[in-house]
Amino acid sequence: MSEWLESAISRGQKIDDWLNPKRSRALELLSTTKWPTRKTEAWRYTPLRAIQSTKATQLDVVSDLTPLAIADLSAIELVFKNGKLDKSQLSDTLPTGLTVTLGSELAAAQQSQAVADFSEVKPDRHLFGLVNDALAQDVVIVNVEAGVKIEQPVRISSLLSQGAESHTRVQVTLGEGAELAVIEDVQAEGETLNTAFVEYFVSPKAHLEHYRFALQTGTNVSVGGCHFNMLDHSTMHSTIVAFGSDLSRLDTDIIHSGEFVDAKLNAIYLLDNNELFDLHATVEHAMPNGTTEENVRCIVGGRAKAVFNGRIHIHRDAQKTLAELNNRNLLVSKTAEINTKPELEIYADDVRCAHGATSAEVDKQALYYLQTRGIDRAQANVILNFGFINELIDLMPNKVLAEWIRPIIRARFSTMKVN
Amino acid sequence: MSDNKSLLTIKDVYASIEEKQIIKGFDLDIKPGEVHAIMGPNGAGKSTMGYVLSGREGYEVDSGTITFDGKDLLEMEIEERAAAGLFLAFQYPVEIPGVSNLEFLKASVDAIREANGEEPITSSELLKQAKEACKQVNLPLAFLKRGVNEGFSGGEKKRNELMQMLLLKPRLCILDETDSGLDIDALQMVAEGVNSQRSPDRSFIVVTHYQRLLDYIKPDFVHVLADGKIVKSGDASLALELESQGYAWLETHKDEEIEG
Repeated sequence: MSEWLESAISRGQKIDDWLNPKRSRALELLSTTKWPTRKTEAWRYTPLRAIQSTKATQLDVVSDLTPLAIADLSAIELVFKNGKLDKSQLSDTLPTGLTVTLGSELAAAQQSQAVADFSEVKPDRHLFGLVNDALAQDVVIVNVEAGVKIEQPVRISSLLSQGAESHTRVQVTLGEGAELAVIEDVQAEGETLNTAFVEYFVSPKAHLEHYRFALQTGTNVSVGGCHFNMLDHSTMHSTIVAFGSDLSRLDTDIIHSGEFVDAKLNAIYLLDNNELFDLHATVEHAMPNGTTEENVRCIVGGRAKAVFNGRIHIHRDAQKTLAELNNRNLLVSKTAEINTKPELEIYADDVRCAHGATSAEVDKQALYYLQTRGIDRAQANVILNFGFINELIDLMPNKVLAEWIRPIIRARFSTMKVN
Repeated sequence: MSDNKSLLTIKDVYASIEEKQIIKGFDLDIKPGEVHAIMGPNGAGKSTMGYVLSGREGYEVDSGTITFDGKDLLEMEIEERAAAGLFLAFQYPVEIPGVSNLEFLKASVDAIREANGEEPITSSELLKQAKEACKQVNLPLAFLKRGVNEGFSGGEKKRNELMQMLLLKPRLCILDETDSGLDIDALQMVAEGVNSQRSPDRSFIVVTHYQRLLDYIKPDFVHVLADGKIVKSGDASLALELESQGYAWLETHKDEEIEG
């Protein structure tokens, strides 16, 4: 076991609050968990030395952190600063049907429900999910009543100041037929460590629109997850946009717990320098008639390393499943690295499941075409690579967010080291 | 015969793809304002010649010279050829998802302007010109926002090529089987687009398998290409002759070389 994990366990053991039943369970699981090595399949390409060497520690709240402004976006802000919820940022008047409450402040009945739900979507195999179970301080419960459509997105920001460590946790429940958009983002300055996990409970016929922006770079270490439990006829559309850092890892689990679920996941990542980003996306088709479409695209330059593991597990009873996984990777430097692994496990016989993974340089024909129109090779490369990412930005349902992220991605792309 | 007023002079060019020689002694001289049709059977090297002129990678010129506007074309990069005024309308234009047509047009127009020492075009001016060009080739304006050629039908792709030609105002347009796969209405549209651009300082090479397009675009010269070289040249009436006789006669007249 690593020193870092030992310290996390001992810190967890000192916390005493409403989540004790779940925390003690997590601590118990952690105490028997082996620290991952290169031989641990889930961490094979993602070394953890950045965690072991980080100097980030749990700090007191630093008040001058403010969430990055997103032009023209009107959101319900849920702001964590160094792991603590800043209640002053939360609007006093939320739309009818939406509640945002600290778990510790819930009424008894709701609190016991929150305890029961806690860690029920996120699988136990996520080591840092267990760490988050044990160390999350301000667990926030977001609830949308049945039939309510919330127009404004809820934005969950985790802000970290230099040297800070944070563990944030949110549970989002959409009642039957409810609609909600959630934006998760992390902003970290300097050497920081965070685990950020969100669990979603999506009731029948509800619709979740989801975004996760992991744009933190540099010496930040981030390990987090988004976990979705989908019931009958519910739908979700998720977009993940990530840059890399010393270590940036995201696990997503989409669980088709009901029939006729429709899930879409689009992920974009742009890595440069020595950055690392690792997406482990798992889809569990436990019930029949579900649809999943995943598009993962990354551009890797410099000496950066991208990891993608896309697992689709179609259970024996999940007949009539339609699942598609498409992963396209583009290397723009000779020293960049991509590790991609689709994993299909199919136990039902009447399903359609397709996957494709490609690692390629830009399309030579397209390059030639642009050159015949006067555009030089270097600029043509930029245009084509950007186009490859832009396709997924175009698919973002929230156009305000799309127009916000597009120039950010373009700016990053223009500074990427191509060689 | 070439003289210093020629826009394009191709002399005894031999060219290969992957070490297979396709062009075998090609000669052509084009003066400003002329329209030349190149016809010939499949496999004669019609498209290859367009790619050679554009500078496509893998199309190696083994010998011969190509002079464009007094400069050695073979020494120029693909984009330099475009900036100098050479335009190839593709038979099968490539689809580029994620790059909008308008964005692509802006990059292209700006690149060519920059190479010629001009300021970039303003977005509003470009939009205005692009809208006019779309109207002229009957391409819905919505296509400006779509990915380049993405999901366009064959005819729409051809019209998109012409739209680019209208915006880039090249000095030499090579239309590579722009008529293939078009119905008669689309064909007329293409012809009108081309005819509207005919001018004393702009030349065209119209590459086609069929005579039909030449009913609408009247060429000054017609050349027959067979096995990598021009075997017969004449005026517009040659196209009609080919239409009635097909290309079979080439086999029997293989050894005959007639200068136009």
